[in-house]
Amino acid sequence: MLLVALIPVVCGGWLSGPQSTFDTKGPVAETQLDVFYVTLWVTVAIFAVVGSVLAYATIKFKARNEADEHAEPPPQGHGNPLIELSLIVVSILALVIIAVPTLKAIWYTYEVPEELMEDTYEVTAIGHQWWFKFQYEDEMVPQPFGGEAPLVTANELVIPAGRPVKVNLRTVDVIHSFWVPKLAGKVDMMPNRGNHLWMLADEPGYFWGQCAEYCGESHAVMRFRVIALAKDEFNAWLENQKSPARTVAASADAQITTAFADYGAFAVNQPGWTPEFDADPLGSWNALQAPNADEDPALIAAGRQAFIENRCAGCHTVRGHDGIGNIGPDLTRIGSRSTIAAGLLENTPKNLYRWITEPDRVKPGNFMAHTRIVAPPGMITMPGYTMRDPATGDRNPTDGDIEITPEEGHALVAYLHSLK
Amino acid sequence: MDQSLTKNEFIGHEEHAPAAKRSWLFSRPDHKTGIVSWLTTVDHKRIGFLYGISALFFFLVGGAEALMIRLQLAVPNNDFISAQTYNEMFTMHATTMIFLAVMPLSAAFFNYIMPLQIGARDVAFPRLNGFAYWLFLAGAIVLNIGFFVKSGLPDMGWFGYAPLTSTAFSSEFAGDMSTDMWVMGLQILGVSSVIGSLNFIVTIINMRAPGLTMMRLPVFTWMTLFTAFLIILSFPAITIALVEVMMDRNFGTLFFEVSGGGLPILWQHLFWVFGHPEVYILILPAMGIISEILPCFSRKPLFGYPIVVFSGAVIGLLGFGVWSHHMFTTGMGTVATAAFTVATMAIAVPTGVKIFNWIGTLWNGHLSMRTPMMFALGFVWMFMMGGFSGIMHAAAPADAQQQDSYFVVAHFHYVLIGGSIFALLAGIHYWFPLMFGRKVSEFWGKLSFWVIFAGFNITFFPLHFVGLNGMPRRNFTYDGNMGWNSINMIATIGAFILGIGIAVYFVVMIYTYFKGEKTKRDPWDGRTLEWSIPNPPPHHNFDVTPNVHARDAYWYEKHHKAEIEAEKAKLAAEDEAHGGIHMPSNSWFPVITASGMLIGSIFFCNHNFLGAIGGLVIVFFGAWMWSVEGPGGYHLHPTKEGSDDADAQH
Amino acid sequence: MSSSAAAAGHIDHHHDATTTTGIPHKKLFMWAFLASDCMFFGSLIATHLIYRLHPPVGTPDPRDLFSIELTSGSTFVLLMSSLLMALAVNSIQKGNVATTRKMLLGTIVFGLIFLGGQVYEFNHFVKVGGLTLSNSVFGSTFYTLTGTHGTHVAIGILWLVLMYIRSFKPVDDSAGQGWILRGLFHFLTFTGLVVVGMYTLLALIHAFEMGHGFGYYFSHHSLSFIGSLVLLGGLFWFAKPRGPVDFGEANAIDVESMGLYWHFVDIVWIVIFPVVYLLEYIVLP
Ligand code: HEA
Ligand code: HEA
Ligand code: HEC
Ligand code: CUA
Ligand SMILES: [Cu+2]
Repeated sequence: MLLVALIPVVCGGWLSGPQSTFDTKGPVAETQLDVFYVTLWVTVAIFAVVGSVLAYATIKFKARNEADEHAEPPPQGHGNPLIELSLIVVSILALVIIAVPTLKAIWYTYEVPEELMEDTYEVTAIGHQWWFKFQYEDEMVPQPFGGEAPLVTANELVIPAGRPVKVNLRTVDVIHSFWVPKLAGKVDMMPNRGNHLWMLADEPGYFWGQCAEYCGESHAVMRFRVIALAKDEFNAWLENQKSPARTVAASADAQITTAFADYGAFAVNQPGWTPEFDADPLGSWNALQAPNADEDPALIAAGRQAFIENRCAGCHTVRGHDGIGNIGPDLTRIGSRSTIAAGLLENTPKNLYRWITEPDRVKPGNFMAHTRIVAPPGMITMPGYTMRDPATGDRNPTDGDIEITPEEGHALVAYLHSLK
Repeated sequence: MDQSLTKNEFIGHEEHAPAAKRSWLFSRPDHKTGIVSWLTTVDHKRIGFLYGISALFFFLVGGAEALMIRLQLAVPNNDFISAQTYNEMFTMHATTMIFLAVMPLSAAFFNYIMPLQIGARDVAFPRLNGFAYWLFLAGAIVLNIGFFVKSGLPDMGWFGYAPLTSTAFSSEFAGDMSTDMWVMGLQILGVSSVIGSLNFIVTIINMRAPGLTMMRLPVFTWMTLFTAFLIILSFPAITIALVEVMMDRNFGTLFFEVSGGGLPILWQHLFWVFGHPEVYILILPAMGIISEILPCFSRKPLFGYPIVVFSGAVIGLLGFGVWSHHMFTTGMGTVATAAFTVATMAIAVPTGVKIFNWIGTLWNGHLSMRTPMMFALGFVWMFMMGGFSGIMHAAAPADAQQQDSYFVVAHFHYVLIGGSIFALLAGIHYWFPLMFGRKVSEFWGKLSFWVIFAGFNITFFPLHFVGLNGMPRRNFTYDGNMGWNSINMIATIGAFILGIGIAVYFVVMIYTYFKGEKTKRDPWDGRTLEWSIPNPPPHHNFDVTPNVHARDAYWYEKHHKAEIEAEKAKLAAEDEAHGGIHMPSNSWFPVITASGMLIGSIFFCNHNFLGAIGGLVIVFFGAWMWSVEGPGGYHLHPTKEGSDDADAQH
Repeated sequence: MSSSAAAAGHIDHHHDATTTTGIPHKKLFMWAFLASDCMFFGSLIATHLIYRLHPPVGTPDPRDLFSIELTSGSTFVLLMSSLLMALAVNSIQKGNVATTRKMLLGTIVFGLIFLGGQVYEFNHFVKVGGLTLSNSVFGSTFYTLTGTHGTHVAIGILWLVLMYIRSFKPVDDSAGQGWILRGLFHFLTFTGLVVVGMYTLLALIHAFEMGHGFGYYFSHHSLSFIGSLVLLGGLFWFAKPRGPVDFGEANAIDVESMGLYWHFVDIVWIVIFPVVYLLEYIVLP
């Protein structure tokens, strides 16, 4: 019967997906899966035995008819200590079978093993409502106002494949949790507490991850991706990241040549992914690293202008391009990232346009569109986007609100996509 | 043997205060019917009934919320409800189901059945019992006010992890008080539960019929006792945690304020020190019910009674030492994780003991497959499966992949629905003839069972897989490329089948209440004392306080008829010599005191401290009048079965 | 109090024949409640200890703040109140209502002195020590923990006062409202005396601290001083014997449950005192 139940599971792909815990790609997740299998087989075995006895008893001793029900009651036995005791002993033995590998795995998964310690790469992941910031502690980059600070990226964590990675987990607001099912089980980002986890991607690959602790309104769409690269590629990627933002040169009299696409309206919760990307995610990601073929320098320049005029620069860092804010994700290389809005939407012009013009409809409550009423100490509040009237759906800009016209939107898209 | 004298001393001073002369303030309402009789009731059966009706109402509300959740998740990228509404729905769904449905439904059985099982005429403190119910209602109202006001419902999940509950993260607009409602509501519910439980503890220990030693107690009564102890020992932890949140929100303290050095992990510890015993609070009564039904329908005593009782105690005890298994992913470190893993697994042993003994009870029995028995067997199967997924969680490394995924959702719905709800539904069927003298038709009862059973498994079995396939819980939406679509659709369809099953169940119950087949006394050939009385039970329960000679007291009575008849006659004469059966008088003050709490807490949530003090004044007034009016009481002289003849009130 | 007393028509305070175990319901109830209350205080103490042992930066050093002498004094007073409480239980079990009342009053006064000490201490910490509920986690946990204990004491005092007034309920309460009203005013007088009396007492201490002496005190606080005298008189008037009362040996169980509560609150303080006030002296020698 159990096997019958398993048919749809295997055939219907119930256990294979971008976040499947069965399709492990590294030793940590592997160990965790092994422990799961031990618990699974032990309990299934017990279930089979106990279930058979229960089923047998139910069928065997069932009263067949009315008369049977009113027959003389059976002997009024009260129990049998010997049977009970032996069952207890058997249960304890079964638990020992589970406990031994479990305990081993607890120690193994907690800390990078001694022999790999040397080779460990360290990054810090910082949870924000509702996106992730990644900080490469050992890679220093010059800062706009002088001095150096670690390299910062957002929402896509690029790691070296084949090396253990220790991820320090921090948060600036509430509790979040860092979970990349194929690489490692989750560990929480707790305020006032320094947690960490380690993971290792056996091969280069592209992995889906998600915040796994309820953290407020948009918890469900607080996602991220992990990209593991072979050694040389990783180093090349790092080198590129460390340099300031890419500037597309435009002559002073260049004209905008691109025709405006009409992206049309979109629905709330509209899917932001494409099957083409999913077919070969790592390949697609690699393709994104090179500049677009059809860049329009004039449009990009206009976008850069709009980026400052609309105060985007006040919240976002674009190293070398006046962007200095750090309320929002670092955008220095947003064009080379495969997703925007914390893994929610694939980074297509249409999606980016959608995000820039109406972030509040894409991600409820996000702090690009909204500002906090009660700012936690240390957090700056600034005017946000214009809000839709919940009743009419109209936008009613008030003083200081940001409102992006379609032209600006297109220019911003071109500009951001030029940041590779 | 001058019992009458001491007895009177403790009952009150009826000799001093003839009815006619009491001042109006203390005249006790003595209505037997009508709304006043319900508002002022101190009868444990009526209070049990009130608990039951309210719990079933809230079960439907929580179920409707669950259906909203399932509808939203039916297809990927759905926008049936907004993120905010979705978050409110799962918070209220869980809070409602746990605190307003399962717990009070268990309390309904504690109230109604337990005193009957121990041969008592009421609980130890009848007015306090009424008070516990009215407080429960007050807490339930406070929790649900969000449906009707701008603030909306609370939305921080049922375990309200700090710092999401702090003003910085939970107030969408100035004056948002949904979180305050949650905090206040749970505090009131906690007080209600603790008061109710203290009452049950005293009742069980102190009001057993003669001869009913502890080791002769029906297992349901034992489980009531353990549950009551779990409640009084675990609720303080959450109450204090809630007080701390309340102070943070209202008086600027820094308990969980991150910027002031507060440690949100402390909330988790305090919550789960309560939270884990809480899940046993939800399951032990269910196990008690099952331990009544299986022997009755196998027509055989419970297999291994002492060890079943003992394992209940062990579950309760161990339950206090495993709370951090909800926190395996918080970075506790290896040693703590290992310790909690092992402790958690240990609970499988006493729980297994129960399963084995239930099977032992069936073995060699004469199983009559009536509806209650179907639900009970369904319970054993489903609870066992839920327990196994619990063991998978207990292995911390495996749990790192499961925590906060739908695998957990599947686990706890198996133990909560397949466990608690199945058992409670079984209990309703089992005791319905006793409560109302009517019986559900076998066909409709079994039909509802099979629909519920199928719907439940269709909903929740696939959720195990979607969880292991990486779907996190508390997600208002998901993308279509994750491999989760078909399971979610199936689960939604299952939830509606389950909903239909439950609808059938309730419609059949209501029909039976009005038109169902009338039953004679003791329709199931019961084993415990509650079946020895007429149905529905008379106001005073027992004409004669029974004398207990064995475990399964009523079964013994039925098989030793002559001996018992003689004894009963003797005891009846003795009772009459003492002036008849003493019954407690109704009282207004429990409901008045509870209403003070309701008013005060609503004002408090609104930051209207003057109003809050006004509420407290009502509480004080109610409590003071309550204590000076005295327990009161009157005497009954049962004439013939079912009818009684009351003396004037004292 | 011998076990044969019941047979002779007296009340056996150690065995209640109407209950299964022989323990009166109220007593059992109180024991169970106290078990629960242990967990309340346990959670609060745990909270306090966690922050005490992991203090956030900038936490004030408690040693600069506390006055161990003062708190030891009030601790002693609280202990003594427990003694009086025990005596009250003892005398009511013998049916001696008059002594019971005196002992209850004594317990109340000692309890009030303890509370007064706490009020003084809180006031001092806020004004001089600069420790408030909201400027450090230490303040939050300190005030919440000791405040919760103080609230328990206050509830105990309220209970004692109500029990004291209850002891005047006449046997013949057919006149109903009469004694109730008198009881209410009795209660109000009591409350008034506590408030006004505290105030005058503090004023007196203040006057002496400032070196102003009695003269100054009388001229500036005559009203409250006379007020307290009047209220005290009122109290005596209310306590005047008015025929047989419905309070006696049968109420021993009520007084005893109250006593259990009072002793428990006392014991909790015995735990809180070292944990809160002496911790640094115990942990860091
Ligand atoms: C009725 C309620 C109930 C019950 C009875 C249980 C019973 C158990 N639960 Fe469950 N649990 C919940 C309700 C319940 N739980 C809820 C509501 C949550 C989620 C809270 C939230 O996050 O919202 C939860 C979450 C939860 C977690 C945390 C998961 C996570 O968030 O990561 C864990 C981890 O260990 C766990 C474990 C267990 C165990 C080991 C048992 C054991 O008691 C089960 C024991 C039973 C058996 C094992 C079956 C029968 C035994 C045998 C036949 C004997 C032989 C068997 C063996 C030797 C294995 N539960
Ligand atoms: C005893 C407890 C209990 C019970 C009985 C249930 C019952 C159900 N639960 Fe729930 N559930 C929880 C306790 C419970 N749950 C908890 C603790 C959580 C965690 C929440 C959190 O994360 O904070 C949760 C979370 C939870 C989720 C996960 C949400 C998320 O994480 O995003 C889901 C999703 O499928 C779900 C579904 C259901 C369903 C379909 C039922 C069904 O069994 C419901 C069946 C009942 C009905 C279908 C009612 C039928 C009613 C009618 C037909 C009429 C309606 C009319 C009127 C109201 C007048 N529950
Ligand atoms: C009030 C501060 C603020 C302003 C002003 C602001 N942003 Fe943002 N931005 C954010 C925050 C916060 C996020 C992260 C939102 C989330 O994912 O929850 C974000 C996210 C983004 C992202 C997605 C980044 C990623 O890695 O997923 C882009 C692109 C972006 N902003 C562009 C802009 C542009 C263009 C403007 C100006 C028109 C702008 N932002 C103005 C705060 C701001
Ligand atoms: Cu961050 Cu959920
Ligand atoms: Cu648990």
